[in-house]
Amino acid sequence: MKRESLLKRFFTLYLPLAVILVFILFPFYWTFITSIKPDSELYGAITYWPKHVQWESYKKLFTTTVDFLGAMKNSFVVAILTTMVSLTASTLASYAFSRYRFPGRKAMMALFLSNNMFPTVLLLIPLYTIMRNMGLLYKPASLVLAYTTFTLPFSVWLLNGFFNDLPLSLEEAALIDGCNRRKAFFKIILPILSPCLVATGVYIFMTSWNEYTFAVMFTNKASRTIPVALKSLIGQLGVDWGMLTAGGIITIIPVCIMFFFAQKRLVEGLTAGAVKG
Amino acid sequence: MVKKKSIYPYLLVAPALIIILCVVFVPVINAIGMSFQSYDLRRPKEIAFCGLENYITVFKDKLFWKALWKTILWVVFGVGFQFVFGFVLALLLKKKFKGRGAVRAVSLIPWVTPGVLIGLMWRWMYDGNYGVINDLLGKIHLLDKNIPFLSQTNTAFPAVIITIIWQGIPFFALMILAGLQGIPEELYEAADVDGATGFQKLFKITIPSIKNTLFVTTLLRVIWVANSVDVIFNMTEGGPAYSSQTLSVYVFNKAQALDLGYSSAMAILLTLVLCLVAIPYLIFTFREEDS
Amino acid sequence: MKKKLLSVVLAATMVAGMTGCGSNPENKGSSGKGSESSDNIEPCTIKFQYWADNTDYSSLMQDIIKKFNDENEYDITVEGEETPWDGGGYSNTLFNAAMGGGAPDVATFKLSAAPMFVNNDLFADLTPFVDKWDEKDDIADNIYQVMKNAGGSDDSLYLMPWNTQILYIYYRPSVFKEAGITQTPETYDEFIEDIKKCTMDTDGDGKTDIYGFGMRGGAGGQEPWGDFIYGQGGSFDDLTSKESVKGMQDFIDLYQGGYVPKSATSDGFQETLANFQSGLTAMFVHHVGSSKGLIEALGDDVDAFMVPKGKGQWTSMGDTETVMFESCENKEAAFEWMKYLAANEGQKMWCEGTGQVPVDQKVQKDDYFQNDKFMKVSMEGIDFAGTVPVKDTTTEWISNWPAIISQALTGEITAEECMKQLDAALNK
Repeated sequence: MKRESLLKRFFTLYLPLAVILVFILFPFYWTFITSIKPDSELYGAITYWPKHVQWESYKKLFTTTVDFLGAMKNSFVVAILTTMVSLTASTLASYAFSRYRFPGRKAMMALFLSNNMFPTVLLLIPLYTIMRNMGLLYKPASLVLAYTTFTLPFSVWLLNGFFNDLPLSLEEAALIDGCNRRKAFFKIILPILSPCLVATGVYIFMTSWNEYTFAVMFTNKASRTIPVALKSLIGQLGVDWGMLTAGGIITIIPVCIMFFFAQKRLVEGLTAGAVKG
Repeated sequence: MVKKKSIYPYLLVAPALIIILCVVFVPVINAIGMSFQSYDLRRPKEIAFCGLENYITVFKDKLFWKALWKTILWVVFGVGFQFVFGFVLALLLKKKFKGRGAVRAVSLIPWVTPGVLIGLMWRWMYDGNYGVINDLLGKIHLLDKNIPFLSQTNTAFPAVIITIIWQGIPFFALMILAGLQGIPEELYEAADVDGATGFQKLFKITIPSIKNTLFVTTLLRVIWVANSVDVIFNMTEGGPAYSSQTLSVYVFNKAQALDLGYSSAMAILLTLVLCLVAIPYLIFTFREEDS
Repeated sequence: MKKKLLSVVLAATMVAGMTGCGSNPENKGSSGKGSESSDNIEPCTIKFQYWADNTDYSSLMQDIIKKFNDENEYDITVEGEETPWDGGGYSNTLFNAAMGGGAPDVATFKLSAAPMFVNNDLFADLTPFVDKWDEKDDIADNIYQVMKNAGGSDDSLYLMPWNTQILYIYYRPSVFKEAGITQTPETYDEFIEDIKKCTMDTDGDGKTDIYGFGMRGGAGGQEPWGDFIYGQGGSFDDLTSKESVKGMQDFIDLYQGGYVPKSATSDGFQETLANFQSGLTAMFVHHVGSSKGLIEALGDDVDAFMVPKGKGQWTSMGDTETVMFESCENKEAAFEWMKYLAANEGQKMWCEGTGQVPVDQKVQKDDYFQNDKFMKVSMEGIDFAGTVPVKDTTTEWISNWPAIISQALTGEITAEECMKQLDAALNK
């Protein structure tokens, strides 16, 4: 492997990376300092670092009726459950779509895709009735069900795309070696697919994490998720900027940390033991 | 390819299919029904079948066409730039460098941030009197007077588009990065031996190898962005003077006003438009698979 | 083709099913016979839904609930459920829940959303309960009338008064002084004049540093805007009249003349409050709810005057009510809770804590309210305060108002054209 010169690396890696990172991180930075600025500093001359740092807002999030900790717990539970259910169902389905041909396949795939084209706001009343009749209202299960339904189609298509990019030669080699389909799936495909599973899992998690429209209808104070808790900080008399931004920071950081550990699974390339081209 | 008949694939697809049919399909059919009625919940006693009347009113509605046009701009610029920046970021994040894990984690931030916070924070940054964007642009002398970005009809929409670009970069970066992992290193090594340049490697190896990933992520993102309401609503609610009102926001506003018949009709039309966008891809994919 | 036909048939069946059982539960309330008529209120639980504008009010409401639960003689337990205000999305969420069969027993409410609930027979008629209430006359007749108007019927009362917020005009005495104004405007014309006088360039750099008025062209702006329409003798009932158009023209002239910030086309409450507090504007319209925060920030340099008389006079009466749902199974008990909020202890606690104007006249006479200068200015407006007409077009009209107005302010359409559109949307 040729070692790239430092200069070349600067222009092809560090500089573009820095530019994009600044764009991505600046709003986060701004959110953070807004959360530690006292209210009096928010209006008027703009300061790039607060004159007085205060952590009041963070305290208030957890000690007042906002109960942000409860909201975070609910969000995590719902998101993780949704990810597990949705990822399992969609992996099975997309494997079928990618590796098999059967009647009704194309119709089903089209159905999955069109499912998400419809604006969700119009589904609120009927879905609320369904949830109520199933006795799921105000329980995390209602959100898990709703979110699974909406993340499934996209996940199926995402994984289908990934599956299609994976060369068939791998499985064929395993089959020739005597594995049946199931073994081939678990021993060969799954490990190679893991970056794609991670990516799709992240997509499902994020969708569940950020969703508001269903959350506000299907939860009450005890079961509400983070987006609903954040919205409650906006009253008729204005936005509580301190708590809203503090809530945002607290929402962002744990997920990034989680992802930091998960992203190790985004390991490079085909591992040893794979079929050479 | 397994071509012989077996129930195996049906079993695999069953869980996903059942969930979708039970939970969403029925309400969607219900909504289709509403679009053929004068279904206004503010006047429930006047609910009646009215055939294509809603659709005809929609076609005559100037705001509908304006919103449709806005949606096209929204998708083309929003998804377009998200894609470009996301792709570049994915390529960068594939390379080895110290702290890569942390940088990858941090790149996720726009995606982790709840929509309400994105809308409000950017609105705050764009503010005409206390916003930091005006301040920065003034400091580097690009501006001599504050611009109330979200209050002017010619700057509100571009401002919102920039925000959605910001939000979507991690999605593309992550998906494309995952797809890049599947490209055998040997292909690049062989190309190096042949003396290929960076650009040639990009267009002849990288892009073709992740073709499917690129198509799928773009298509999904187009559908998602076309339907998204959160960011626009929290930043401008579709204003000023409808300049940032995309079709999905228009549907949302009409549905909130309880004119469900009208908003259902528009929703159906939006869905049809998205189907039109999806069809070429579907044809392409299915044809590819058959070859 | 067959599939499409199938779907249409399915749709029709679905629709028939939905209209059949969705919208019209039996109308027990209006005949007055459905409610329990005895005084024996059994111990029960009342589900109460409300929004809180900030965490302090949230705690306050929970305190009031607790007090009621501890002290009421019937062993009624109120369970409070807080839902975000969400810029008015609260009403939609409540509506969706009620339509889906999951309404609470009692909820806080804003009357502009009344028609959609009343038209779908979701509310209980409170007349039998109010008639039996021995303190009902503590609330002014006029207020009951406004509630009845909003509910669309003179015979039934669907909205229980709770508190009001009467809009007035805040101003900065220091700016008035600098502009050479010695007393607050007594007429509408003087008011316009004062706005122009207060628009000043204080540091000589050619740019305006203080704007005379914090115009609100964004969400909710129709309330202060009404002041101008009525000031010129116009009215909401006919927005196309010469007088109404003249009021609109005044509004446009203020914007185009640079007497208000350029951001006015999308400034909502937040922005106008911030601009006033930071000294960018000399006056702005709001109500007593913001007074505590302003006193904290500006001390003595904030005062208020009521909207002055022009050819007409009007100020917006913000409102908050409580409502009882028809689906409530313990209506007598629910009304006990509503009574507690509307009068005496509950009313006192809430109004003192949030700075709203009480509807209970006994409470109004309390020192706390009589000694507050902003409360007193509010009460000056009681005789001519009103609301935007509450019709089934109102909610949508309110959400489209900013878009139409901003086109007029920027000169895209004329005042006449603007008023024509507004009138058509509201009074069709």
